[in-house]
Amino acid sequence: MWVEESQASPGNAPASPEEPSERSATKGLARRRWLRVGLTLLLAATALSALFSNLWASGAGLLYLYQQAQTFVTIFLGIFVEAVPFLLAGSLVSGLIAVFVDQSAIDRYLPKRALPGALVGAALGVVFPVCECGVVPVVRRLYEKGLPLSIGVAFLLAAPVVNPIVILSTYSAFGWGPLFVGRIVFSFLIAVVVALLFSRARPDELLRPAVCQAHHDACCNAHSHSPPAHSATAPLSGAAGLEQRLTRSLNLAGDDFLEMARFLVVGSLLAAAMQTVVPQSALLSVGQGPVVSVLVMQALAFILSVCSTVDAFLALAFAGTFTTGSVLAFLVFGPMVDIKSSLMFLSIFPRRAVAYLILLPLMLALLMGIGWNLNLGW
Amino acid sequence: MALFTRPRFQQAVKALTLLGLALFLYTRLADGTLFFYINQRFLAYTVFAVVAAVLIAVSYRPGVAQPAAQSHANLTLGGLLWVLLPIGLGLLFPPQPLGAAALGNRELTLIPSQRSVLPAAVRAAAQKSAAERTVLDWLHAFTASSDPAQEFAGQPVDVVGFVYHDPRLPEGKLLVNRFTVSCCVADASPVSLVVQWPDAATLANDSWVQVQGVLQPGEFNGRPLPVVVARRVAQVEQPAQPYLYP
Repeated sequence: MWVEESQASPGNAPASPEEPSERSATKGLARRRWLRVGLTLLLAATALSALFSNLWASGAGLLYLYQQAQTFVTIFLGIFVEAVPFLLAGSLVSGLIAVFVDQSAIDRYLPKRALPGALVGAALGVVFPVCECGVVPVVRRLYEKGLPLSIGVAFLLAAPVVNPIVILSTYSAFGWGPLFVGRIVFSFLIAVVVALLFSRARPDELLRPAVCQAHHDACCNAHSHSPPAHSATAPLSGAAGLEQRLTRSLNLAGDDFLEMARFLVVGSLLAAAMQTVVPQSALLSVGQGPVVSVLVMQALAFILSVCSTVDAFLALAFAGTFTTGSVLAFLVFGPMVDIKSSLMFLSIFPRRAVAYLILLPLMLALLMGIGWNLNLGW
Repeated sequence: MALFTRPRFQQAVKALTLLGLALFLYTRLADGTLFFYINQRFLAYTVFAVVAAVLIAVSYRPGVAQPAAQSHANLTLGGLLWVLLPIGLGLLFPPQPLGAAALGNRELTLIPSQRSVLPAAVRAAAQKSAAERTVLDWLHAFTASSDPAQEFAGQPVDVVGFVYHDPRLPEGKLLVNRFTVSCCVADASPVSLVVQWPDAATLANDSWVQVQGVLQPGEFNGRPLPVVVARRVAQVEQPAQPYLYP
């Protein structure tokens, strides 16, 4: 996954507490760093050559290049400016959870077993109306509070669709009909299935070391009632005043935002680059078949990286020309995974887990879309 | 980089970064160029973002903030540069709405298909008088008709848009376009009218024009559709609100 490699180079190295500097480990790290630099250069070269091949074709020279760059920056800022409020809102909620939610509450009220956990997690969006940007800091903070894995994964995938705001916007775009019902039902189902698959894994396979450590502390200390002193997520002592606790939660919100913003920026850059270089018309003219159309709409949802609160209006533009199954796949898959959100997942999960988080919904939504197309064809 | 990881310094950098972001968003909001990037309906969200960023920045003030103990809470130099990148790019490239350069790799919409628009928008477009209709309203009106080329023949048109010379068009014709944005410019899609104007070649791509004329049956790329036969084409300033909202 070059996408992740290239972004990981700037922030990852100092951010993650690596194991003690054994010689072999440092050697491996150095090699990986070279690999990253190499892949980044390769990516840059590919992007440049793509731009230049356009340039030669049109022969319009520097002006053309400047206009392409201008378009790229405008689209990049569009995605970024649109997502920042949602990320800030998610970070604020995350900060409040860190300071005001007790770990034992999660322990007491949320189911521990996989299936009930997945079901509850997928429905949690009704209470926390978040889109795919805001959900990431919230889930990470809940994991640090010891949230069971399956609840978190189901919440992460389903909340961007199964929440009042998105349900309302989908209704106003499509009205009561198969697309409206299908979007909600299938988002819920796919989130539950992926969460069940993820619940087979151990926390240390699925969470980044720092998140996992806090997760582990939370799990084990919830029973002994002695939160470790070093953990920043530990509630302040009872003497701390409300003002101090609010300041603390704002601090944590800021830390969250600044860390996640990095992933948002890289994701927006990639999405904007794809839009500038890949002709949308080429993508749309590829195919209308029951299978290809679904893949095309999934690719489009991934590249566009549009917020789930409004993507229903966007999907409307394709409703007439594309198969119903493919529009449904756009509506179900897009909010779960797109370029910018999958990069933000990297702040919670290691790369392998993120790859699964992309591939599993992709496959399931593809199956759903194809099945839908074939059934309606009969 | 010992200085960089010192708690006081970290707090200051975080606060300044957030203030910088808030200031950037505020300036774009104040001069109206924010809507080159996003749909107007996101105005309230951006206001919220400015307030929240300032609030968080203030919470880092010395004496109140507690240095974070968590390892992943420290802002690294690389992380800082990434976060500042949007501001940097925003200052480097003066704000400008999408134009003809972005049309090259997008699907042009000259006649939307039957089901692809909000019924409410189509009704609203039908109620407007011909002279009031925007490019988007015209396309909505075309949608409702089974044979728009014939049905709308003779109706007067008065629209504003930017010029694009599509390679498929013959001499003496051009496209007048607007982008529609439902969320942010990432989902921008163009709506276009074919305009017949003898001096079409003198108008540069991206220049904004007001076109007055009459609809007549015509074709684009082999498909029959209404074409504006222009009576008058005047260069105008770029509108304060360059996009249309579906």
